[in-house]
Amino acid sequence: MFKDLDPILHSQLRLAVISLLIGVKEAEFTFLKEKTNATAGNLSVQIQKLKDAGYIDVIKKFKDNYPQTICKITTKGIKAFEEYVKNLQYYLGKK
Amino acid sequence: MQQQKLTEQESLKLISKMIYEAKGYYYENGMSALIYGFSILICSLLSFLVAQKYIWLPLNPFYILVPIFFVQAWIQRRQEKQKKAKTFTDETIDYVWIGFFLSCIAALSALFAGVDYLVISFILILLGFATLLTGLIAKFPYHIVSAIVCLLMAAGSFFLQNQNSYLVLATAAGMIWIIPGFMLRSKFKKILKTEKNIEY
Repeated sequence: MFKDLDPILHSQLRLAVISLLIGVKEAEFTFLKEKTNATAGNLSVQIQKLKDAGYIDVIKKFKDNYPQTICKITTKGIKAFEEYVKNLQYYLGKK
Repeated sequence: MQQQKLTEQESLKLISKMIYEAKGYYYENGMSALIYGFSILICSLLSFLVAQKYIWLPLNPFYILVPIFFVQAWIQRRQEKQKKAKTFTDETIDYVWIGFFLSCIAALSALFAGVDYLVISFILILLGFATLLTGLIAKFPYHIVSAIVCLLMAAGSFFLQNQNSYLVLATAAGMIWIIPGFMLRSKFKKILKTEKNIEY
């Protein structure tokens, strides 16, 4: 049985972030901002939501005295993404 | 990008676009390849001149590679810090070359066992193998072709087994590291230029 599309992932920016992270080992906040063309504020909020859902890990550290935020998809996030794509394919097949 | 709900088609399109963007991320300035290439080229040529008795050196020229290895490791570390994303492709290629360098160290122990030019042939095989894997993983046709040429050179070098083997190694260094090093450098400069144009 197919469930509804995951509401955490079924929004433009969060889906873009997860899709980017699925293709890399880890990525900096600046990389995600650059690729999604989102504002820093909006991106931070959406990253926090993904983190709260347990879909990504966020590591904060310093690089050359500047704060650096690194994001990495979790196993839960990979499973959620796979499920989302599977459901998406089902819905597209139904139409 | 705004925070909005998507249709199923839009979602699929967005996923494909972002995966393509992430996989295409590339940050390599070619410096590592140039350092290795020129060091091995110079060491090979010096070894050839020593073997031909044109010059005399108090130590084996290949010992120069030891400090260069540490300098290169430091440069590599700095470059890694510049990367905004770490891809699985980069990581796999790094493992291939770590394997290559460790195998080379093991192969060099043959020098202590009295085996001389044969080591160069083995190193050429390892080099061809590592380059072929890199070319296949990164989908870089130049590396695939140069790896095959390198493997043919390795096969040929078994019949050589004299000081000319150093010249074969020098040619391989130019082909495997120096030429792609310049190619990567020029590509990197173009990317930097584009980024600057976007910024201002």
